[in-house]
Amino acid sequence: MIQSYEEQLAANVYFDRSFKLETAKLLPGEYYVTDRNMMLVTVLGSCVAACVRDPRHGIGGMNHFMLPDSAGDGASPVSNSARYGTYAMEILINQLIKLGARREALEAKVFGGGNVLRGLTIANVGQRNADFVLEFLAAEQIPVRGRDLVGEWPRKVHYFPADGRVLMKKLQPPMHNDTIYVREVEYRSRLVTAKVAGVVELYA
Amino acid sequence: MTDPKLRFLVVDDFSTMRRIVRNLLKELSYTDVDEAEDGVMALQKLKAEKFDFVVSDWNMPNMTGIELLKSIRSDDGLKHLPVLMVTAEAKKENIIEAAQCGASGYVVKPFTAATLSEKLTKIFQNIERAGVRP
Repeated sequence: MIQSYEEQLAANVYFDRSFKLETAKLLPGEYYVTDRNMMLVTVLGSCVAACVRDPRHGIGGMNHFMLPDSAGDGASPVSNSARYGTYAMEILINQLIKLGARREALEAKVFGGGNVLRGLTIANVGQRNADFVLEFLAAEQIPVRGRDLVGEWPRKVHYFPADGRVLMKKLQPPMHNDTIYVREVEYRSRLVTAKVAGVVELYA
Repeated sequence: MTDPKLRFLVVDDFSTMRRIVRNLLKELSYTDVDEAEDGVMALQKLKAEKFDFVVSDWNMPNMTGIELLKSIRSDDGLKHLPVLMVTAEAKKENIIEAAQCGASGYVVKPFTAATLSEKLTKIFQNIERAGVRP
């Protein structure tokens, strides 16, 4: 089979000593779901993260993604580049449902979409990502209980799926280092080069 | 061979994904498309109306795509329907299960109109070779 670009389960899980909680740290292109009392952490530049949970069952998760570069087709959830975002959202929600979450009970908080990737060809990367995630959630009738989107800042998000709490810190530029920037540019180039289409041959 | 009059049923629990598939089919000049949001609703529609082709997701509440596929293949009135699985499940065991249950094709999300077109063409070729009209 041809390998397409795949969303990855966050690999970095550790015990956070200050919060005294098992914690998963998400990098661009990753997601994590849990039905335990955990903390999910990510740092966002122009990417967005959707924190989605079923409050009745304490099952929740987070993703971290951006739309691939695709000039002129906007943030409509059915455009070419947004098809990837729809896929990133679907992976997260499917995994929540597999853990026992009920589709109609889901609620979301969304963060990111900052205008931090300066110098790239498309100036409104963050805005497109933010528009996409809001349009997707509206179309799927998943209520948005909290948001902090666009603006000039990178953000660090701590999400507690068990009770839905979020602690968010806006990171003030200039940054001490360029890690977020480097990771996003690297993720972005992976999305562009990966074949965003998958086929499997059942019959030769 | 690509008959624009073919009637499609698109089964997916995400309305966004149903719109995507509908748009892609439209790009391929298939405009007669109906939708169902899970296997239960799909089966009701398939039994009540005539369809020529089913495009189904795997993970859905109430009745999954693989359960829908099994129901179609075990129903004398429906078992010849081509069923294309379009799913985010890329695991080998899922693909094998789909093949064993009689899926006509398997596409892993995210995918493009070109991919969908390629699969549809292949499925129509297989049907012609087998001598069964959809």
